Amino acid sequence: MNNKRKTKPGQLEKRENAVGYLFILPWLIGLVLLVLWPIVQSFQYSLNKIKLLPQGMAKLYVGFENYSQIFLTDPDFIMGLESYLLETLIAVPVIVAFSLIIAMLLNQKISCRGFFRMIFFLPIIIASGPVMQQLADQEAASIPMMNVTMIEQLLDEYLPHVLAESITSVFSNMITLLWYSGVQILIFLAALQKIDTSLYEAAKMDGGSKWECFWKITLPTIKPMILLNVVYTVIFMSNNEQNALIVLIYDTMLSATGGYGYASAMAWLYSIIESAIVIFFAVLIMGRKDVYERRAKKYQRELRKEKRLERKIRKRGERHERSYAKQKEKQQRKQSKKSA
Amino acid sequence: MAGYKGSNINPKKFEIGQLKIILALLPLAVFMGIPIVFIVCHAFKPMDELFAFPPQILVHKPTLDNFVKLFKASADSNIPMSRYVFNSVIVTGSVVLLSILFSTMAGFALSKLRFKGKYALLEINNTALMFVSVAVMIPRYLVIDALGMKDTYFAHILPLLAMPVGLFLVKQFIDQIPDALLDAAYMDGASDFKIYRSIIIPLIKPAIATTAILAFQQVWVNVESSNFYINDESMKTLAFYLNTLANQNSNVAGQGIQAAGILIQFIPNLAIFLILRKSFMNTMAHSGIK
Repeated sequence: MNNKRKTKPGQLEKRENAVGYLFILPWLIGLVLLVLWPIVQSFQYSLNKIKLLPQGMAKLYVGFENYSQIFLTDPDFIMGLESYLLETLIAVPVIVAFSLIIAMLLNQKISCRGFFRMIFFLPIIIASGPVMQQLADQEAASIPMMNVTMIEQLLDEYLPHVLAESITSVFSNMITLLWYSGVQILIFLAALQKIDTSLYEAAKMDGGSKWECFWKITLPTIKPMILLNVVYTVIFMSNNEQNALIVLIYDTMLSATGGYGYASAMAWLYSIIESAIVIFFAVLIMGRKDVYERRAKKYQRELRKEKRLERKIRKRGERHERSYAKQKEKQQRKQSKKSA
Repeated sequence: MAGYKGSNINPKKFEIGQLKIILALLPLAVFMGIPIVFIVCHAFKPMDELFAFPPQILVHKPTLDNFVKLFKASADSNIPMSRYVFNSVIVTGSVVLLSILFSTMAGFALSKLRFKGKYALLEINNTALMFVSVAVMIPRYLVIDALGMKDTYFAHILPLLAMPVGLFLVKQFIDQIPDALLDAAYMDGASDFKIYRSIIIPLIKPAIATTAILAFQQVWVNVESSNFYINDESMKTLAFYLNTLANQNSNVAGQGIQAAGILIQFIPNLAIFLILRKSFMNTMAHSGIK
């Protein structure tokens, strides 16, 4: 019988690796060349004072001075950051919750559903670019009927001023927030339609109400999509051109006093804070586990523990065996010496 | 999937029970529709209505004045408008197609294939997502300059190709495809490429449609590349051209031209949306993933 293996050990894995790299290669080249390399470069710039001269760039290494300058002497950035943080932390849950509600409504069986869906997806094509810019310029995005100052006064009585201010700003930009939620609605709708309907039927058989179904079936199933939407919303809100901080960074870059190095430092700080927000939301959403996940995790932990124990025992056994073998050898040698 | 038959997603009959849902949706739908109505009406407003305060959403005395001005202004310039349209179409088309191809391929690999460094790459992509694109302008310019791509179509296309958001969306959707489906295909002797083509692509059509729309509008209104990487007037895009037209003319007259220009720019957006709408509304229910 020919027992010879055709593939050497490790070769299959290598082949798998190669296929993976092949698929990822075109994207990877673009990413490294036009995204990662410039990002690294901009970090380097952020440690310098840069002046753009006709004959090229003049760099002066200053270490982290740009960063300390942002914190210590520049009021614009810190203030902008404060309002950005508060606004994002309030607006993101509002957008996500709103789009989930809309998606659930659109998932019902109603007449004219196709029409409604189309209307609610429309913001996808207007939420960025010049259209939004013009709407903002014209102040068409605020609700004229709503008396914002009254709400603000009311909130001011019960809440600290900073918080009240950001809540009112969310209220006055309500329509803008609605317009931002096109993609989120789409993603939620896709997720909702993928939920197995037999789950709901089984729950109904067992006497579960719709409310229970929502909390115990719908929400856990679409949890990854909620995270996706939160991340998308944070990124979209922070990186679009209407964001005050982006405008500030852009202006600083072109201004005589700031310069490119300083703007790079700002951009780095901004990105770090943005990541912090995303991580905060991710922990909030994915950190909370339901009973089954917790049980599964516990089981896995125990399994791992057992395996570790097994390995320990096996190792100990091997060690013993080895030392035993050594002893035996010694004895044999002694004996052979003696006999000699 | 109960309740879905073929492609008609609307139930046949109207029932009283639907009324409360429709009542909840209708006012929101009106808000959602406002921008579209506003954009269309704005382009047809005569001068006095353009500057009315508070801004009016509907137009009272529609004129074609703004369009006439726009075409007059474009007739005065050296390069015909069709050249800009041609540039824009080429750039947009290639970016949309290539970015879909790249992001689905990378998404498939990152989600389903096994290779070394996969998780590190994912983390890198997610971090790159957060970065402010304004800040990488100058280094990017240097890279493009070093590659000798200034004043070519590549300068328009390449910076937008690596779209971390698109990859992120697509990858999340591919994650939802059960491994059992792929394993079955592997058992039947399908290669990785075959799986990519005949399982992954059909199943994530809604994600592709979404990515396509996002990519389209990102490119279509993009003025950055024309601004920074292109010196040759005849290589610039429509978005840039309409922008400059509005800025060149005096502020008051420019408003009308800008309004008309935005409507012209907006129409292809709407068209793409209406074309792709069917594909992302219908396929979602039929993706066969449970």
